[in-house]
Amino acid sequence: MTPRSRNGTGMLFLALGLSTVAHAEDWTAWGRDMQRNMVAGEKKVPKLFEPGRFVAGTEQVDMATTKGVRWVAKLGSQSYGNPTVADGRVYVGTNNELVRREGLTGDRAVVLALDEATGELLWQLTVPKLGSGKVNDWEYLGICSSPTVVGEVVYVVTNRGEVVALDVHGLADGNDGMQDEGTFMVAPGTAPVDLLPMDADILWSYDMPNELGVFPHNITSSSVLVVGDRLYVTTSNGVDWSHIDLPSPFAPALVVLDRNTGALAGEEASGISERTMHANWSSPLHVPAGKGFTSHVVFGAGDGYVYGYEVDPVDQGGLRVLQERWKYDANPPEYRVKDGQKLEYATFDGPSELIATPVYAEGLIFAAIGQDPEHGSGVGMLSAIDPASSGDVSGKARWTYKGLGRTISTPVVYKGLVFIPDYDGVLHCLVAATGELLWKHPTGAHIWGSPLVAGGYLFLGNEDGELHVLKASKKLTVVKELALPAPIYSSPVLANGVLYVGTQTHLYAVDGLP
Amino acid sequence: MPRVGWMQIAALWALLAPSGALAEDWLGWRGPQQDGRSMETALPAPDPSKSLLWSVDLPGRGTPVVAGDRVFVWGYEGAGEALSEVVAAYELTTGKELWKHRFRDFFSDIVYERYSIGAPSVDPETGNVYVVTSPGLLVAFTRDGQIAWQLDTGSLYGRMTFPNGRTGTPIVVEDLVIMHAVTANWGREGPARDRLYAFDKRTGTLVWASTPGTQPQDNSWSTPVVVPQADGRLALVLGTGCGHIAAVDARTGDPLWRAPMAKGGVNVSPVLFGDLVIATHGLENLDSTKTGGTFAFDMKGPLEPAGEEGAPVLRKLAWRNDVAGFSSSPVIADGVVYQVAQTGELNAIDAATGAVLWALPLGPEQIHASPVWADGHLIVPMSNSHLFTVKVDRAGGSVVSDVVLKGVPLGAPAVAWGRVLVHTTEKLYVFGEARPITAWKPALAPAVKAGPAARLRVRPAEVVLRPGESAAIEVDVLDAQGRLVERVSPGAVVPWIPPTAKVKSEMKASYANGRLTAPQDAGLTAGAFQVKVGALTGTFRGRTVSGVPYRQDFEAFSVTEPDPLDPAQRFGWPPLPWIGARFKWDIRQTPTGMVLGKTLDKVLFQRALTFIGHPDEHDYAMTVDLMSDGDARQMSVVGVLHQRYIIALKGNQRALEVSSNQDRFKHAVPFVVTPGTWYRLRTEVSVGADGVATIRAKAWPRDQAEPAAWTLEVRHTEGHRQGAPGLFAFTPKSLHKVYVDNVVVEPMKGAAP
Repeated sequence: MTPRSRNGTGMLFLALGLSTVAHAEDWTAWGRDMQRNMVAGEKKVPKLFEPGRFVAGTEQVDMATTKGVRWVAKLGSQSYGNPTVADGRVYVGTNNELVRREGLTGDRAVVLALDEATGELLWQLTVPKLGSGKVNDWEYLGICSSPTVVGEVVYVVTNRGEVVALDVHGLADGNDGMQDEGTFMVAPGTAPVDLLPMDADILWSYDMPNELGVFPHNITSSSVLVVGDRLYVTTSNGVDWSHIDLPSPFAPALVVLDRNTGALAGEEASGISERTMHANWSSPLHVPAGKGFTSHVVFGAGDGYVYGYEVDPVDQGGLRVLQERWKYDANPPEYRVKDGQKLEYATFDGPSELIATPVYAEGLIFAAIGQDPEHGSGVGMLSAIDPASSGDVSGKARWTYKGLGRTISTPVVYKGLVFIPDYDGVLHCLVAATGELLWKHPTGAHIWGSPLVAGGYLFLGNEDGELHVLKASKKLTVVKELALPAPIYSSPVLANGVLYVGTQTHLYAVDGLP
Repeated sequence: MPRVGWMQIAALWALLAPSGALAEDWLGWRGPQQDGRSMETALPAPDPSKSLLWSVDLPGRGTPVVAGDRVFVWGYEGAGEALSEVVAAYELTTGKELWKHRFRDFFSDIVYERYSIGAPSVDPETGNVYVVTSPGLLVAFTRDGQIAWQLDTGSLYGRMTFPNGRTGTPIVVEDLVIMHAVTANWGREGPARDRLYAFDKRTGTLVWASTPGTQPQDNSWSTPVVVPQADGRLALVLGTGCGHIAAVDARTGDPLWRAPMAKGGVNVSPVLFGDLVIATHGLENLDSTKTGGTFAFDMKGPLEPAGEEGAPVLRKLAWRNDVAGFSSSPVIADGVVYQVAQTGELNAIDAATGAVLWALPLGPEQIHASPVWADGHLIVPMSNSHLFTVKVDRAGGSVVSDVVLKGVPLGAPAVAWGRVLVHTTEKLYVFGEARPITAWKPALAPAVKAGPAARLRVRPAEVVLRPGESAAIEVDVLDAQGRLVERVSPGAVVPWIPPTAKVKSEMKASYANGRLTAPQDAGLTAGAFQVKVGALTGTFRGRTVSGVPYRQDFEAFSVTEPDPLDPAQRFGWPPLPWIGARFKWDIRQTPTGMVLGKTLDKVLFQRALTFIGHPDEHDYAMTVDLMSDGDARQMSVVGVLHQRYIIALKGNQRALEVSSNQDRFKHAVPFVVTPGTWYRLRTEVSVGADGVATIRAKAWPRDQAEPAAWTLEVRHTEGHRQGAPGLFAFTPKSLHKVYVDNVVVEPMKGAAP
């Protein structure tokens, strides 16, 4: 670990911090890495455990009643995204319903940094609500973004639409970068709080709504993509109460920031916001150079298209603009227009946007459409897109699969198979090269989270709090359905031999039963 | 714990119902016993292939009601711009349509056709049918479909709408019809709170308003349950958007108690078991991170002082469990509470202990729909279009019938005269047997023996007058239980400033011969009055609003208050009688004079719909100067409310737009707005004999000549015929201020006077 000074030069070391070697089996971002394919490479995985019972009259798990569980961390009342694990720390977003930070009570959003070995709290980021109610920052949703860890910096998008860079050490090594965390942690116009050792050390913050005119719909979600010295961030720009009116039709749906300073380095100008059906919540991914194509950034947008952008923004009319390489309508034409009539959004048969993150694996980009769970069920589609595309390649996917309902779950690709659940709770297994359906597994409850494949097993949670464990294979084989005491809206991850399963209220670190 | 048996339930029904009302009718959304339970027996299971009597293709999201051979239904028809809410009556025996009224949406935030979420209510005494439409019209229909009276509660009392459209149902109690809504009215009722408003069921005169809770997080459409008190009073018990079960006195509106239960809204209609009130919620709890739960509060528990606002606090909990339901209401029968959890299981809960007796999965989730109980069976509509009939008792539940309906059932079934009525988003179904129906006749109100006079209730509780207008003021002398002793004309009505009033203000009006009259020069005033009858006193509130013509350049206002965002700056309060103005607008001094600006210090108030005149105005023209701050990235929206249309300059969209509800009626033309530039907006709305409204608007930079042509001219079939003039602003995230000046409302040229 690079020693860091307590003065401003810390930023320099921070910029060099990339040299820090992450543990080989860390899980450092949403989707594990920037291609977002949630496969952990380990052979030996903990797949069976007993989540235990609560100590009577409390919400603390009685560890004596658990089996194969290393530790359990209490979260707030809601938790989305997935935990990330890097350099001995586990980061997880939740709300403030379990108040850990003295003096900051009530509804707030929180990122907890926990000790990987013990689950003990190291520090936490505490963010006030925007204050405008459900339209921009829905009550109790907490932080929905999964932190991205690069070297000694954690990048996360807050409920207020800020992109923040945090020091992995918290304040333990002094307050680096931005100095007014005490103001950041309270609502505008209220007196700043004195910093405590448990507070996050914010290095910089970029406020997308204030700087760009973004109008986040319901919550700011999405996780940060890092490519070189740049961050690519979805803004959550979307509709207002009316679900029709777009208050900021010309604000960007995707922006680029300088990784070291947080300065604006580019934005999409594809007109996505103007066409957005609901909101831009899907996280971007990076497609490294391959046969017949160079490195590019892929974004599943709120207008129902997937965009391939050049990595480098270009000066254009006073702005630095992301250049479109290709785009693809992830809706088939019949979801948009039927019998000459435009189909309404949020109807069963109508068009959808992308909320799930597209995945790059085995030479293809896999992207599926979906809507806010509040809109219920509807028609979905999974597309396999050639990364060597250029121009508008709508209708020219390698294959499409329409047997899927709407989904907000990111697919996982493993050994020639693609696994994807839909909101209706059905897990689908397809041949990755052809889209041929091999099997379906109904879990019996809605699914918000995404599947993990580790050691040849697939792990998937649902709204009834069941963790379904299956063989990640051509033949449907259910290994276990574990019942946890709260709904699972997040996605399980595996890091350094430990399986992390987050319910709405607790994070279980699982060593597994022998 | 006393077990409430069948006979006691029947006795309760008899106590509440006027004599002559029939138990076979289903007059309100939870039926004759307020708990989702019917007294019908031996009903065939509802099944489209076996027991369908008739159906009509009318989408709805609530519950039909039945009085004799008439079904009264609230639904909607048409699509897109043609969509209207509908209140209709059908013959129960035949399905023949008897009458129908259509209502256009206006100013609502309702999305995705979330209309008609609620139910009509029938008054057994007059036969009147009451509905609150989604945008907030409280309408009284006669049994034969005449509109007896209607009130635009949005512009009268600041009743708000929400994207989910969950509107609920008014209830009839004795002589009152009572609605539940979040309002942001004026003065002490200015802050948005969950409130109850009680009106004379015959005239629509406001009789009381009540604020039992605290700041709401959600809008609740919980229907109040009437609970007779041991001392003869009547309580209304309901869930609130501020997470309470609350009780108010049904005759006076006095807040009685509130029981804190959740951090979000409580949407269900509670059920009663002895002294227990039982309700379910699905949001954050006050004391744990597990969401939702079913709670039983002991209504006889001790009360703690109210604190800063709302009713005294009741905390005595008899039991609670983890059964979470967001909006599906419980049913109680034979000491068992049946609650469909939001995850789709039907739970049977011991009403005395809260123990979950059994659970039966019926679907992946439940949204709004609620079951009914009849003769040992529950009829359970589910959000995946399944309709279950489940034989239930304490020992268990078994599915007798599981059928799939067309459309989604979101209300509760109604059970009447051997029929089961279910409304879905596509159809109204009437299942069952064609049993004979007793002809409907008016029930007699029970004879009331009032005690000695104890307090006064002034009618109206709130009055709004234009210059020269007057209103009758009457006083109900009530006994200690709120029962009417006599109705009198007060001898004197004097201005009254409550000692606790934050704004000391008087309404300019004088009282003579039983009427309160606003002078021609009343201006914009608001305040309270006190009346005396013998030794008793009572109060009411009122305001004077502008008529037409009206001119306002704000120059007569003064700026005295320090700006919370910048103490060096001063501002003035907007006129008190404007609805939805305080904390949303402020008067500012500029180098060119006084202007009205959108307040930015509370992002919760980033939008303002502000009514500056009377709801009955029509055929007027408006001219207003408008400006937005901003930059190349972002500006704010500013415009007018004109006869239920919003006409606004939208800088970010580079458009001049007219809308009513964004999904129903919205037309825009390109119009580039430059930040920091004053524009003048002129608007007219006229309605032809064919009912088509023509909305015209023109906007131009104020320092340039007025263009001859209209910038925007659109037509709206079944257009809005009246509506208060007002102002509109939307300052996203409260970043960029907008300004209004030189407001002119005048008769439209060529319009009939």
